[in-house]
Amino acid sequence: MDLFLQNIVNGLQWGSFYALIALGYSMVYSILMLFNFAHGDVFMVGSYIGFGVATALLGFVAMTGIPLPGWLILILTILFSMFFTSFVGMFIERVGYRPLRDAPRASAAITGLMIGIILETGNLAILGARRLSFPQLIESATYQFGGVYVTNKKILIVGVSLGLMYLLHRFIQKSKWGMAMRAMSFDFQAVPLMGVSINKIAPLTFAIGSALASAAGILYGLAYPVLDPYMGILLGWKAFVAAILGGRGSILGAALAGFLLGFIEIFVAWIFPSTLRDVIAYSIILLILTFRPHGFFGQAHSTQLRL
Amino acid sequence: MHSLEHKARQDKKGIRARLQAFAGPIPLIGWLFGLLGAALAEYFLGDIISYYLGLPKIPVLFGFLTVLKKPLLIPGTIGYLILVYVLPVLIIVKSLQKPANRLAGFLDKRPVTIAALVHLGLFYGALHLWADMSDYRLLVLKLTMIAIMLTLSINVINGYMGEFSCSHPGFMALGAYTASTITLLLFADDKQFGDALLSQALGPYFFPLALIAGGIAAALGALVIAIPSFRTRGDYLAIISLAFLFIVKSLIENLEFVGGPRGMSSQPHYSTLPMVFSVMVLCIWIINNFVRSTMGKALNAVRDNELAAEAMTVNTRKTKIITFMFGAFWAGVAGGLFAHVLRYVNPGSFGIQRLAEILAMVYFGGLNSVTGSIVGAVSINILGEALRPLEIYKWIIIPLLLILVMLYRPTGLIAFTEFKPKELMKPRKNMVEED
Amino acid sequence: MKSALKGIVWGLIAVLIVSGNAWSFGRKTVVKVGINAPITGDIPKVGEGTKYAARMWLEDIEKAGGIEVGGKKYPVELVIEDNESKAESAVKANTKMITEDEVLVIVGPQSSKQAVPAGDVANNYETPMITPWSTNPDSTKDRPFVFRGCFLDPFQGPVLANFITEEFGFTKAAVLYDVASDYPKGLAEFFKQAWEKIHGAGSVVAFESFTTKDTDFSSQLSKINKSGAQVLFTPQYYNEVALIVQQAHELGWTGPIVGSDSWGSAETVTLCGKDCYGLFFSTHYAAAGAQGATKEFIERYEKKYGYTPDDVAALTWDSLRLVQTAIENTGKLTGKIKNDRRAVRDALAQIKNFKGITGDMTFTEEGDPIKCAVIVRISDKGEYEFYKSVCPN
Repeated sequence: MDLFLQNIVNGLQWGSFYALIALGYSMVYSILMLFNFAHGDVFMVGSYIGFGVATALLGFVAMTGIPLPGWLILILTILFSMFFTSFVGMFIERVGYRPLRDAPRASAAITGLMIGIILETGNLAILGARRLSFPQLIESATYQFGGVYVTNKKILIVGVSLGLMYLLHRFIQKSKWGMAMRAMSFDFQAVPLMGVSINKIAPLTFAIGSALASAAGILYGLAYPVLDPYMGILLGWKAFVAAILGGRGSILGAALAGFLLGFIEIFVAWIFPSTLRDVIAYSIILLILTFRPHGFFGQAHSTQLRL
Repeated sequence: MHSLEHKARQDKKGIRARLQAFAGPIPLIGWLFGLLGAALAEYFLGDIISYYLGLPKIPVLFGFLTVLKKPLLIPGTIGYLILVYVLPVLIIVKSLQKPANRLAGFLDKRPVTIAALVHLGLFYGALHLWADMSDYRLLVLKLTMIAIMLTLSINVINGYMGEFSCSHPGFMALGAYTASTITLLLFADDKQFGDALLSQALGPYFFPLALIAGGIAAALGALVIAIPSFRTRGDYLAIISLAFLFIVKSLIENLEFVGGPRGMSSQPHYSTLPMVFSVMVLCIWIINNFVRSTMGKALNAVRDNELAAEAMTVNTRKTKIITFMFGAFWAGVAGGLFAHVLRYVNPGSFGIQRLAEILAMVYFGGLNSVTGSIVGAVSINILGEALRPLEIYKWIIIPLLLILVMLYRPTGLIAFTEFKPKELMKPRKNMVEED
Repeated sequence: MKSALKGIVWGLIAVLIVSGNAWSFGRKTVVKVGINAPITGDIPKVGEGTKYAARMWLEDIEKAGGIEVGGKKYPVELVIEDNESKAESAVKANTKMITEDEVLVIVGPQSSKQAVPAGDVANNYETPMITPWSTNPDSTKDRPFVFRGCFLDPFQGPVLANFITEEFGFTKAAVLYDVASDYPKGLAEFFKQAWEKIHGAGSVVAFESFTTKDTDFSSQLSKINKSGAQVLFTPQYYNEVALIVQQAHELGWTGPIVGSDSWGSAETVTLCGKDCYGLFFSTHYAAAGAQGATKEFIERYEKKYGYTPDDVAALTWDSLRLVQTAIENTGKLTGKIKNDRRAVRDALAQIKNFKGITGDMTFTEEGDPIKCAVIVRISDKGEYEFYKSVCPN
């Protein structure tokens, strides 16, 4: 029983990352009908930007002697990184995707893939071979509930993730821009006809998605403090699976699917010999897709979603 | 001013016209003779010429590697390229123009197969000589041919049928491992399976069978993707194929009897140049026929509008299954060849990196086009090797190139063009004579 | 057409005159040493250590005016290729260096995952190869042309099992390893065998695995926690050690964690921090407390590159000096690369009692040196302290 609860906690934490990154994929995919394969690498860039901001803030504290508590630095780091990384996302949209708006979706997808590779290699070229260690902004504290160990970090990660998702949900449901985005996911062509320029929505979508990825990157840096240029690849592709699993047009679905993927991976590793984790976890995904081909909450769309 | 512009434009036209006048009347077979001549020139004179030009060795990959490592050698390298490649080709091509045209005309009247065989024989001769000079060239050539097969096989699914399938490394893995298991089990004394069960001499003859077995294994794997694809749309297919990729990779890592993560090594040396070349030619021919047939048109129909295709009596289910299995089959065969060229396979070779490479080749070269796939595979492969001295910057230049191609020609360099061998081999009329 | 032809001819003549190299007839024999290292990929620090050690070695050779064989001095050139931490690239790199660059001998690859397949290529082309760091037996097994500079895993496994038993008196162990990588998988199995030989079948109460590039081990570690194991053995690379150790502690693990020679990188403690203080691992040499030639090497490396060299750098240094000794011992370089390679291989096999900075070395028939292992303890300041030396009996 202990192990079961422990793994629920583990799964919640691990799934948060998939969920946050999948949200970015899902937004771009639902609203702009694009796969953005550079997203995993935006997550990586966000993590590195977070490292930079945190180091700068810590340096600032050291220099000026103003004692900023760790949690404040963390919040500032997250906010600043989200802000800066959103520009990265908008830049990618402008340079890589906007010129290809009328091109087949696959070409845009490949462009994204290539941009991702450039981000990885660029990082390697600029920062060199060593791995970076994300600064410990908060003292680690482990709480024990019966046989279950929960660190404050885990709580923080899940909390912040859920918080961000809630904020996103409110934005999409209540704000005008959110309404425009939802409209676009229903009918891509109609929205510009109503006077809302795609050239405003697209960058906004990318900005939000990238900001979320950046937050994920920093939380990830907290939990797994070793940064390397290729950290976004596997996570990115798996989050992509989660995003589509969640269904087109459903932000909630992507988040749910992200958590589900996290749970599946953790529980499969627990129940079966851990070497078989990928085989079983992805077979389960295949089964889900065979029986629910439109994902969890996807709308059976009349418009062709061909690439 | 006006006349200067006019003259400049005329000059440009002049250059193009002159090139046309020069190259136009030369039939394909003429160029092949030229290539053969260049290869012969290099074979006999290459060493001496490179020595006198001060080059440390014969430049292996058209001088790219030499030049990138020691820029001082650029003049010598250019001299080499001109003397050994350009001059012989130009001389032979022009002097043999009439006889070549007559030969082309003669072959034109014969069945296409005979003409094709003659052309291929010449081409192979040139390649063989060229590769003979260096083991590295041989390796690069073989890997490029395998890349061509891979690109063609994914183009059938991604280009002609318009899906976005990410499972090709998985098919390749299935083919590689199946073929390797068969050859190691039956024909080699090795660490994995112990002594050979059959006589080692029989090996090379059974190799094609091993390759086919690999292809069939991959095709069976494709069923795993094809069946869910009936009910799903393009995007869901993408993640089904991704899931397939992860499953295959993880499965192999767990199967101890095929070496698990360690992989298998010391496959017998069955992937000789003639073998790889023949399989590649067969692959191009069969795939070309497939996409030009009714089935090929059905593929395009399914891509453009599945509902309408169904309404027009295209059996979309059957089409999808056959296409997936067909594409997977060739990927499996390519995988089998790959295993025997590198003589080592491990699950790590068939992951996301491989996927990125294959996608790059097919989208760069061009969708829905046999020529495009060939061009894409050759370019990316040769570039990948030629830019080696740049180390990590190679991986910035190649993606940038691809992005540029995507921006200016979103469907790839040569897309939607048919590959018509008969037309290529026709004799060319002399432009002057026509006037 | 005529003017074009004239232009070409004059151009060629100009080219011939301009390319200065044209005037240096006679190609000198250059001794080329190939270095096959993981410069990009998962463990770039290992590649860096290799490169730096190699460059330091080259400096010495150049100061001496070249490598001296049979009274003649030959210039030495290093050909450094990146194997990207991938088996396939290691194979391609070896093929290129052997057939294209015509190297006399190859040093590397470092990881068993690359060394095993690359060794096959070297052996097939009859080119001597020495891998400084690969501990998997398959690298040199049945390959007369492949040697190594370090001890093997069938030796390392029992060393660790014995050490833990003697030091702590434990009877139940847990193992966490990467199933997709040669080295950790092999060593995990050797350790299990050795441990169960001492403590009986089933005394490895948890044998958990993950895949390369995984970063979350909470599921496996939770299982290990509940298994009743007293010690955790994890033979992973420096980038993974930090994550594993930290997560183990976060999940409540309080027992000792022991590692193997893959822990020995200079970056391990930087990444791992306090979580790693007090942990043990086996390795090839300990920098703190070194003496003599070892101390000289460490100080020189520190001065030049700014950090204490790890075991990879030290082993690469020794391997290169082994190679140098072998080349010098051949007595004569004919200039025909095939014969020279065979000569170097024979000279290498005959080396006895070589005084390396990582210990004395004599090669067995398989091409493996008989060497001792060092148990290192990570001090409370994060330094690698020499704890114990274990030699083969």
